[in-house]
Amino acid sequence: MILNLLFYFFSILLLFSSLMIVTVQNSIYSVLFLVLSFISASSLLFILEIEFIALIFIIIYVGAIAVLFLFVVMMLDIKTINLTKDSLKYFPFGSFVGIVFLIEMLLVIFNTFKVSPYNFNVFLFNSYTNWFEKLDSLTDLESIGQILYTNYVVQFLIAGFILLLSVIGAVVLTIQTSTKQEKTQSIFKQLSRNYKNVLLY
Amino acid sequence: MTLNLLTFKEINILPELFLSISIIYLLIHSIFLTLNKQYPLIKSSLVYLSILVLYMTCFLLINDNLNILELTNFNYSIANDYLSFSSKILIGITSMFCLFMVDQYLTEQKINHFEYILLILFSILGLFLLCSSNDLITAYLAIELQSLAFYILAAFKKNSTFSVESGLKYFILGAFSSSLFLFGSSLIYGISGTISFENFKDLYFYDYPANEIKSLKLEDYYSNQNETIILYALIQKLFTYNENFFIDNDFQFFYSMFGANLFMNIDSENILNISNDIFHGVENVLSNSLLYNCLDDRDLTKKDLAFLGFVYMFLNFSETELKEIVDNNTQTSFESLNLAQLESNWGISDFANRLFMLTPLDSYQDSTYFYSLFDTTLLQFALVFILVSLFFKLALAPFHVWSPDVYEGSPSSSTFFFAIMPKIGFFILLIRIFYYSFYNFLDNFRYFLVLIAVMSVIVGSFVGLEQRKLKSLLAYSSISHMGYSLLAFSTGTFEGLQMLYCYLTIYMLSGLCIWSIFFLTKLKTKYFKKQNKDLADLLLLRKSNSILALSFAVVLLSIAGFPPMIGFLVKFGVFLVSIESSLYFIALLSILCSVVSAFYYLRIVKIMYFEKSLAGKLYYPITSYKATTVVLTLLLFFGLFINPTLLYLFSYKLTLLMLY
Repeated sequence: MILNLLFYFFSILLLFSSLMIVTVQNSIYSVLFLVLSFISASSLLFILEIEFIALIFIIIYVGAIAVLFLFVVMMLDIKTINLTKDSLKYFPFGSFVGIVFLIEMLLVIFNTFKVSPYNFNVFLFNSYTNWFEKLDSLTDLESIGQILYTNYVVQFLIAGFILLLSVIGAVVLTIQTSTKQEKTQSIFKQLSRNYKNVLLY
Repeated sequence: MTLNLLTFKEINILPELFLSISIIYLLIHSIFLTLNKQYPLIKSSLVYLSILVLYMTCFLLINDNLNILELTNFNYSIANDYLSFSSKILIGITSMFCLFMVDQYLTEQKINHFEYILLILFSILGLFLLCSSNDLITAYLAIELQSLAFYILAAFKKNSTFSVESGLKYFILGAFSSSLFLFGSSLIYGISGTISFENFKDLYFYDYPANEIKSLKLEDYYSNQNETIILYALIQKLFTYNENFFIDNDFQFFYSMFGANLFMNIDSENILNISNDIFHGVENVLSNSLLYNCLDDRDLTKKDLAFLGFVYMFLNFSETELKEIVDNNTQTSFESLNLAQLESNWGISDFANRLFMLTPLDSYQDSTYFYSLFDTTLLQFALVFILVSLFFKLALAPFHVWSPDVYEGSPSSSTFFFAIMPKIGFFILLIRIFYYSFYNFLDNFRYFLVLIAVMSVIVGSFVGLEQRKLKSLLAYSSISHMGYSLLAFSTGTFEGLQMLYCYLTIYMLSGLCIWSIFFLTKLKTKYFKKQNKDLADLLLLRKSNSILALSFAVVLLSIAGFPPMIGFLVKFGVFLVSIESSLYFIALLSILCSVVSAFYYLRIVKIMYFEKSLAGKLYYPITSYKATTVVLTLLLFFGLFINPTLLYLFSYKLTLLMLY
């Protein structure tokens, strides 16, 4: 009962916050709502006893991506302009493309999956007792760890290698070894040039 | 226990393991060396070290005796068959030569970071893993490892805006295509519950993807088929029926098939209201004396067999039900037919099997058609995503737009690798997906594949006419070559697979030769840092370096498909294979496009030989080691043309072992 109430609470919170992300004008607020939506989604996952994905959700989305967004928003210094006029212009075409794609996917999915006639309750509440879990108290995280380190060793190692590669790449692309700068247009310099200082004698 | 398991014999990825460990070792080594106060340049020594590492890896690969009984390892995620083995050796040897040729260029361009070599090694490791990957996760990770290294290689020259731009472009489009791959594989995982190609083979290899039999609406399909196929379908359906599982559509279909008002009143609920006619029919068949002999001698007509099918269907009912039917509705001596005896003599499944064996079929395709036990539309939907993402990586025609820009912008040594190395790895993955796990789906995708192949051949040959820069010309030529190899791939025959492998091998060899010559012709001007070559830079190469000009002309003619070189034979083979699988128009179209593309290869030859200009360009002299590699590959072209058995046997063995 409490779990169901919590479920509804968090799902309403999720819907509300994801609606607010799109509608709010101030971009910092919208990023904060994004964080709220991530947190409520991960708590939904916690209620469904999917601890690993919930933790991953918080770590990756809140810890990395949302913070990155926040940094970008703060650095870009976007002024709050009324963007509704612009979005209205693109709304018909964008929604048309989106709806076409959605309908295609839904057609395929509904043709493939059918509702089981034995199971009339479409929305399954999380109220059943998993007796297997009562007997064998191996948590989600533990079992995932065991599978990851036994069955998928190679993939784990490759993932580690990709991380190493990305570290090397980031270092290589950003390190400043030579004093030579790349030749790019400096707009400030161009605009501030004056005909008086151009000619040198 | 674990110690016993971890013997070296068991680790079938020993070459990859060696390569990755030595990459880490080289990284640590070079970091400690460059931490010195003097900042020594260790790039050149690192090139030779990495050539050594690659040599050792190839050595390990060759010494790795393939255990035919144990092809997959690590929970079915690593395949160790001949396909991966031979392609890995090919990649290893070619990349050794690549590194050797690139070294001089890197010094001239002042790309002195040792990381460049490490990135190349990373990408080769990714390609090795891609060749031997046997499930979707490993394939994805290998693709990521390889392409992430390539993005950095493209953007490596930081003081060139072109290079940075091309790196960013490559990165964004590559990320897009790998997201498509991930989406497709997640859908496949959702449908089938597995990611291993091995399991896909077990699930779908014999399952023909039936578009038309969607949701068991059979009539539309069967109305334009001949009787044999219909009968076949019926017997197939009988196989799949459980008890008390009937579908109205089937009855309507049977009704339309037999015309008479046999099944007018049938619902799935009241099966007992079946009209008498069917029993008369069954009676007619069964009262035929010596029924067993008839079945054995194959005397029965198709219609009789169909009725026998019905009998089988009724055998699925319980005896009380049958009796009820008989008592209520028929006045015939249905019980005297002694169904129980029939059943006990043969058994139900055997009965059906005999029926199954008796039906003559026109082609293999018809027989596979009705194996479809479940709907596979969503699976095809997912496979399209995977296909598109791999086509992005291979730069095939509608997805090729990034490749000329990236080839042109990134430093030539990186372009060398982009153009030659990754193609074979992605084709191996395609072979694993479409020849190994989803073989029957290839039929459905054939039009799509052939369309893309022809489109990329057309784009590669016609847009290539416009190009004035050698690098973008080579980019378009590689697009058209990928088109030809996709044409060989899309035939779906084992000859096609063989020719695909031959074509890719020769593509790599000739690419190696061309790019080596590209690096060897270094202009003696003060703008020698200009890394991109116009076609006019090759003016009168005959006068300044006649052997180099000759070899360049030979390679170009081989790529264009002129007879005394191996390029002719493989191109010929591709067209032959496509004609053998009845793609006549496509073959004609691609032959014509190949003629068109011969123009721009011949133009380079003309610029080198027949230009009336008196002032040519001067080039730096060539070291004898590098000349040796060029000449070796060149001699290989002629030698393989005279006796292509080596190449053919290699690929024959590969395709035959695909069957196992």
